[in-house]
Amino acid sequence: MAIAEIEIQKMVKEYGAGDNRVPVLRGVDVTIPRGEIVALMGPSGSGKSTLLNILGCLDRPTRGKYLLGGRDVSKLTRGEQAWVRLHYLGFIFQSFHLLGDSTVLENVSVPLFYAGVSREEREARAMKYIERVGLKERITHRPSELSGGQRQRVAIARALVNQPKVLLADEPTGALDTPTGIEVLNLLKELHQETGLTMVLVTHDQDVADVAHRTIYMRDGHVVDREVAHASHP
Amino acid sequence: MRLIPDSVRMALQAPMRNPGRSALTALGLAIGVSAFIAMVSFGRGARGSVVSQFETLGSNMLRIKKQTAAGEVQALPLTHADSDALIHESTTLSAVVPRIDRMFDISYQGRHARTVVRATTPDFTKVRDEKISRGGSFYERDERERAKVCILGATPAQTLFPTGSDPLGAVVTIGGTLPCRVIGVFAQQGAAISGSDLDDRVVMPLSTFENALGAVDGFFSIEVRPRQPDQHWAASQEIHRILRRVRHVREGAGDNYRIESPDEVTKVAEQIGGILTGLLAGIAGVSLLVGGIGIMNIQLMSVAERTHEIGVRAALGASPDQILRQFLAEALALACIGVGAGVGVGVAVSELVGRQMGWAHATQPDVVIFSAAFGVVVGTVFGYIPAKRAADLDPIEALRRE
Repeated sequence: MAIAEIEIQKMVKEYGAGDNRVPVLRGVDVTIPRGEIVALMGPSGSGKSTLLNILGCLDRPTRGKYLLGGRDVSKLTRGEQAWVRLHYLGFIFQSFHLLGDSTVLENVSVPLFYAGVSREEREARAMKYIERVGLKERITHRPSELSGGQRQRVAIARALVNQPKVLLADEPTGALDTPTGIEVLNLLKELHQETGLTMVLVTHDQDVADVAHRTIYMRDGHVVDREVAHASHP
Repeated sequence: MRLIPDSVRMALQAPMRNPGRSALTALGLAIGVSAFIAMVSFGRGARGSVVSQFETLGSNMLRIKKQTAAGEVQALPLTHADSDALIHESTTLSAVVPRIDRMFDISYQGRHARTVVRATTPDFTKVRDEKISRGGSFYERDERERAKVCILGATPAQTLFPTGSDPLGAVVTIGGTLPCRVIGVFAQQGAAISGSDLDDRVVMPLSTFENALGAVDGFFSIEVRPRQPDQHWAASQEIHRILRRVRHVREGAGDNYRIESPDEVTKVAEQIGGILTGLLAGIAGVSLLVGGIGIMNIQLMSVAERTHEIGVRAALGASPDQILRQFLAEALALACIGVGAGVGVGVAVSELVGRQMGWAHATQPDVVIFSAAFGVVVGTVFGYIPAKRAADLDPIEALRRE
């Protein structure tokens, strides 16, 4: 049995206070072993984005535990959360979230800058990952000069440049056409094989889920089995 | 590029993206800093020139003027009786110089100048720092013989002798009746801070003046020089003793004259100059604050516009501290640009004006250093509020804002 990279125990997340409290996660238990690719599916409003935000240390649970690499990260300060995001987690987003005024090289270097890496070192490391995602010829381009697939590759290079243990992807192919989406998924698969990192992919897309070792379905703030989840999509 | 540290490059990146706006922002602080430097320099320069004018009176002198005593309608004029008593009886005074000032027309070969004619005794050079650039002064003998001689100030000299012809030896007519030979020309002194022209005068022997033009109302003043610079008090006491007797001031009654010392005048001038400087500095300080608020505004706007970028950076692992520092550094960069420009303009303006007005040391380093430091501090303090706002942004919320 592999070590659990991610362990979520009895997690509750509520928004608002008092009578206006809205529960979004109503007691979620999830364990993800190191090196596993997990797809997180469910209808909108099911709580999967909230769960992803908590997994990404962008948000904190109201109750329950979140062990990341064996360490409880559910009660960290904002500064500590930032440290975990910087060194332990990588993010890719549906809409890429690249810095529009910065070049490919600069975009990929951003996490290294915040990690305090010197400029020469930053450029060398960023170049390595840019080459790996096949954009060596595009380092001085800005995101607006790139196709959607290329932008997501830049985002992937940026997510991996600090050598995280966990990659969190929010609809990574949601803004891409099918062939491009499949290319991106293949790249993620290859990178998984090379690095053995744990991946959590939030998606609506069956192609994405097919890449995963396992799919977790969510509905109304609970993790449910496949049939219950599908009941909402007749 | 590699010579510039990362932090500086980062701090300049965002302002450089919108150079026009950044320049306008920095302009506010630049105006504040330059105004501060110029204003304080003007204030100090003005004070300096006021003080130095009083100092040319000769710091070691006292001036006696008539004064209306309590219960009297008219002031008793100062006369030869007063000055003679001082000359003969005093032991503490080395020079006693009566003086009459009156406006007259002076003419020379059809040219006219209206100027102050100052009638005084040859000792006037002992109480005042008077420099005669050409020719010489008059002496006891001239005074005794009522010699018709005069010394021209630079202004009437230029008016009456515009072609550069030599005034020395020329005979000018004073008040239409009195011909006087020009025996000297005073060195140029420039304008007083009040705007009056210190060079607009003619000096001549008192006896000549009294004989030819008449002394209607006594002397304008009697200026005296104590033998020792530290004898002002003793000299004053002696003057009081002599003048109260000569001028018939009864026991217990108020003086019908007064003694002014340039020390006091200088002190007042210093005070006025200080108030002036403070006032100007205050106004300039306000403009500095306004410049700081400009930086705050632009940075608040920048934070609002770049909310998404901040969200991305935060999501990627930038800590609130790092984001705070980044925006603070941007505000600081803007402040430094503004302060740099302001120092340049401020020093240039005060040097230029200082040169025009003939002030020594128009810009002082302490003013420049203070205003630069103040500008940077203002920029940083006002930059903190937007920076804190950026650091406090919720990354999830910020990411949603495109």
